[in-house]
Amino acid sequence: MLDVENMTVRFAGLTAVSELSFSVRAGEVFTIMGPNGAGKTTAFNAIGGFIRPSEGAVHFDGKEIVGMPPEKIAGLGIRRTFQNNGILREMTALENVLTGLELDTASSFVGALTGWPKSGRAERESVRRARTIMKEMEIVDLEDRIAGDLSFGQQRLVEIARALVAGARLIMLDEPAVGLAPSERGHLGQVLRQLADTGIAVLLIDHVQDLVMAVSNQVLVLNYGKKIAQCPPAEIRQNRDVLEAYLGYA
Amino acid sequence: MTPAGPSAHRVRKQRRYGLIALLVLLCLLPLVLNDYVQFVINTMLVYCLVAVGFNVVIGYLGQLAFANAAFFGVGAYATGLSMVHFGLPYPVAMLIGTCAGGIVGGAVGLPALRVKGYYLAIITLAVGELMRWFYVHLDNITYGSGGFNVPNIHVFGTTLTDRGKYYVFLAAVVLGITSTSLLLRSRFGRAFAAIRTNELAAASLGIAVNRTKVIAFAWSGLIVGLAGALYAALNGRVSPDTFGLSQMLMQFAIVVIGGLGSLAGSVIGAVVLTAAPELLRDFPGFEEIVFSLLLIGVLFFMPKGIGGLLARKFPLFRERLYREPTDA
Repeated sequence: MLDVENMTVRFAGLTAVSELSFSVRAGEVFTIMGPNGAGKTTAFNAIGGFIRPSEGAVHFDGKEIVGMPPEKIAGLGIRRTFQNNGILREMTALENVLTGLELDTASSFVGALTGWPKSGRAERESVRRARTIMKEMEIVDLEDRIAGDLSFGQQRLVEIARALVAGARLIMLDEPAVGLAPSERGHLGQVLRQLADTGIAVLLIDHVQDLVMAVSNQVLVLNYGKKIAQCPPAEIRQNRDVLEAYLGYA
Repeated sequence: MTPAGPSAHRVRKQRRYGLIALLVLLCLLPLVLNDYVQFVINTMLVYCLVAVGFNVVIGYLGQLAFANAAFFGVGAYATGLSMVHFGLPYPVAMLIGTCAGGIVGGAVGLPALRVKGYYLAIITLAVGELMRWFYVHLDNITYGSGGFNVPNIHVFGTTLTDRGKYYVFLAAVVLGITSTSLLLRSRFGRAFAAIRTNELAAASLGIAVNRTKVIAFAWSGLIVGLAGALYAALNGRVSPDTFGLSQMLMQFAIVVIGGLGSLAGSVIGAVVLTAAPELLRDFPGFEEIVFSLLLIGVLFFMPKGIGGLLARKFPLFRERLYREPTDA
């Protein structure tokens, strides 16, 4: 579904990601690991259109997406969550999820400000869709709470609901387990596994071993912007290069 | 499906009946007012629109843009001048003033695509001063620093009184606030608020950040331009010194005291800050003191203004960025 080919990202002489290639298939959880500064988030930003790779190609369903602005890439069905929380803190949980439907709410400017029936129908339909996904993720009771007041785990679920609500086909999660209690991590893992089982491709960045080992189909390890390993999670602990990168010896 | 529960339904009903009752009261109000109070109330209506329009950009979109007094001036000048120079009837001139405000608003939105925070504040303040320079120096068109008189407004052969103006203003305010409220409770309002908090996250959700910013600025300019058009009729006089820094400061105080990101707060701020100087007329010097104390007090004790405080205490004042499906 997602094919990254020889992607290189350079910032003023620093090569943050170097000739990275990998593919993510529908229905799998694909995890990118690596020490701090390995280029994981940079790779996400390049795929999402926030920065432009210096070289290489990114295809989504065979279509080249390098050079598209982020909102266009979002429109293709690639959605993401952010490291350090991309939640909109001042809005309610329901309003947060509704922002994910920006492109799916067929409400024109004039239609919106006149309360035109067609616009009103589209808006109502969006509210229904948002509540449906929140119900599926068991966060519908939180809908009127201000997102900034929720626990980290709840915020993460709201953020994931927001990424999914418009029918995302690839969802990229940047360190979703940071700051979560063990029980919340377990719940997050279940949610990710269920997503993959419905045919969504999940691209995950995380360090947290128990989560990564439990949910991933494939694990890719980055170090200094380069791929040093890619294998199923069970094999990663035996990989000499990986041990070297993390522990400094092998 | 009624996940919002029965209490949310009741609040909605209360709000609707409350607004209808308020509107009926406002329609009857002129019957009991003397001319002086009528004029003050008319002024309040003008500043209601000023505050609502300003709040779209500073409260909802979250951009430190201080060109609001400029939009106000452009609306007033465009309205007054098209009556003076072209002899246009007030309704047409009003439309021109409103549109002029919208166009200038959209144009001021363009620098906001590149700069933020204090830099945007400085640039937009400069726009206001630049407009004032035009009013003063293009005296062939604008009548220079002395300003000009706006012709009387005639309706069916008689001159429109302050009481007549009140109903025109009231209609404009109801229209302006209703359309803004609908806009804020659509995907546009949510996009404004998303940009306020996190532009990167907004873009990742499919929100076209630049286009949305220009839309917010243009709508803000349009509403404030309409306020300017009313202002031209309110005083019958338009002059450059009305639209300077002190006007901008007053408008800022209205939205901060009323509440950033609150429509009810905008209205409350406009009413309080228009009434305060009138009530304190007999105590010279007190106006500035009360004004300052009010601003300091609000910033200390209620950072979201009176509107934010009311929203925390009463569900009735809780403004959401979506419309509850009523068929639930």
